[in-house]
Amino acid sequence: MNIDRRKFVTRGAAGMAGMLIGGSLTGKSAAGIPAAAATPASGPQPYDLMKEVMQYRKIDTHAHIYWTDDSPETQLDYGRRLGIDRQVISRYLDVMPGTPDQFRKFNDLTIKAIKKYPDHLIGGFVLNPVYKQESLDEIKRCTDAGMVGPGELYYQVKINDPRYYPVIEKLIDLKMIIHSHGECQLGVGGYRMKYNGHKQPNTSIPEDFVAIARRYPEGIFQYAHIGMGGDWEYECKLFRDCPNIYVDTSGSNNAENMIDFAVEHLGEDRLFFASDNSYYQGVGKILAANLTERQKQKIFFDNYNNLLKKGGRGVD
Amino acid sequence: MLIDSNAYIGHWPFLKLEYNTPEALLGRMQEFGTDVSVISNLNGIFYKNTQHANEELRDAIRSKRAYRDRFIPFAVINPIYGGWRDDFETCATTMGMKGVRLYPQYHGYDIAALPCIELVKMCRDKGLPVAFCLRMVDSRTSSWMDLDKEWTLKNIVPIVKAVPDAKYMIVNVAGSMALSGEEMSLFRKADLLMDSSGRSMTNWSDLLKQFGTGKFCFGTHSPILDYFSGLLRIESLRKNEADEHTKELLRSGNIKGLLGS
Repeated sequence: MNIDRRKFVTRGAAGMAGMLIGGSLTGKSAAGIPAAAATPASGPQPYDLMKEVMQYRKIDTHAHIYWTDDSPETQLDYGRRLGIDRQVISRYLDVMPGTPDQFRKFNDLTIKAIKKYPDHLIGGFVLNPVYKQESLDEIKRCTDAGMVGPGELYYQVKINDPRYYPVIEKLIDLKMIIHSHGECQLGVGGYRMKYNGHKQPNTSIPEDFVAIARRYPEGIFQYAHIGMGGDWEYECKLFRDCPNIYVDTSGSNNAENMIDFAVEHLGEDRLFFASDNSYYQGVGKILAANLTERQKQKIFFDNYNNLLKKGGRGVD
Repeated sequence: MLIDSNAYIGHWPFLKLEYNTPEALLGRMQEFGTDVSVISNLNGIFYKNTQHANEELRDAIRSKRAYRDRFIPFAVINPIYGGWRDDFETCATTMGMKGVRLYPQYHGYDIAALPCIELVKMCRDKGLPVAFCLRMVDSRTSSWMDLDKEWTLKNIVPIVKAVPDAKYMIVNVAGSMALSGEEMSLFRKADLLMDSSGRSMTNWSDLLKQFGTGKFCFGTHSPILDYFSGLLRIESLRKNEADEHTKELLRSGNIKGLLGS
């Protein structure tokens, strides 16, 4: 229960609703539901929504840039609008087979963006572990360029595939957060457990994350977007006993109670605020949740930043 | 003033909902500053005889003065189910419902089917808005027993074309908003509002220019979607995108016009 928010709500006779219902809205045909004969006993206190939005420092731990001319400026503009200090961006590798030439090109786009906006953009790299040495070389190249870890690793190889092991071991050495795409929806993982032709067959599912997290308990895994249309209840229940799996809250689905459920099952330290470029829903779902001030601070900023600090890459 | 044009009580069979009772919804309204909510009963989507859901809604609202003061009820009518004309008449008169929610996908008829057109004309004649939802829940994460196809704005075109002088609400606009020039012209002329709850309500500056400031209103789609995002889309508009007058239209002015005039 958000005590801080609720304590403002008492207002004396708030005639607005009564006036509305008692007036034109009920004037024509309201015999069954009596119009308010008088003003209601209480109404809401005007609520300064943007003040609440802006009072929290935020790191968007999962965002993307595009090849279009307006990127990353459009993404930065959403950040300014909603008080997002920094965005961890990547250009996810949405091509097959995802050759070294391709992932270097994708990462070059990110490097260019973080060089241009170092105070607001944090870089995440992509790679493809099918190309072991090239991927390890790319980690070094991108780290030298100032990136903090992998961006959203994609569907070329499942996260628990043995071909990922050398990459993951390198990322663990570097104390980086291992961020990967994951899905759990109809046709992809979850209760139907099948790929339906619209998804790449190596798309990681929650069970894959559990497997890799148990193999590498010292690793820090970021399961991408519990709001991407995945079954967030399924995901959170599955991850409950994997303390080294963190979830980011991004995605266009802003189901009510998603965040409350995630905190209940994973604890307040294992959620990272993120948008995946669904900025309104990203911020909205956190601020709609029944969280304490401290919990919101942790999810919006501290949880992720504390892990960045472990690798000497924290934001101050 | 703030009016939520799109809220519900009742149950969703595949997901446990929070805030789905009148008291819980009222709590959300108090918390976030909403004066009045337009509500309907989710159960009406799943009852074959939707009138039971309308009676539940009526009884719930009657049970407490605060509900009568703060909730505006919309009926759920299925125009291919026996007795629907009587149900509609009862809802519109005895029960005092202020609009009608239609669910062609869930109830199994085409949006331009004759019974639907007849019902929309009956609503028109009584001055009641007709509301369609492009998707109730995200199909990606919904149950295998739920719908697998979501609507886009284009799916609404046939009924607006068939009854262009009715009042329409389109809620949870989550899919494509692309319309042809002719369709856009139809929408711009229609007495039609889209609520702010859907994920496609992203680039407001362009949307307001494209459709006009009179085509949008605040909506939460609560308790299915979070209570915050629909309002955030409006309150985060900058002065050069929407002046205070426009914001007031979005918060309450436009929906008041649709419901009251």
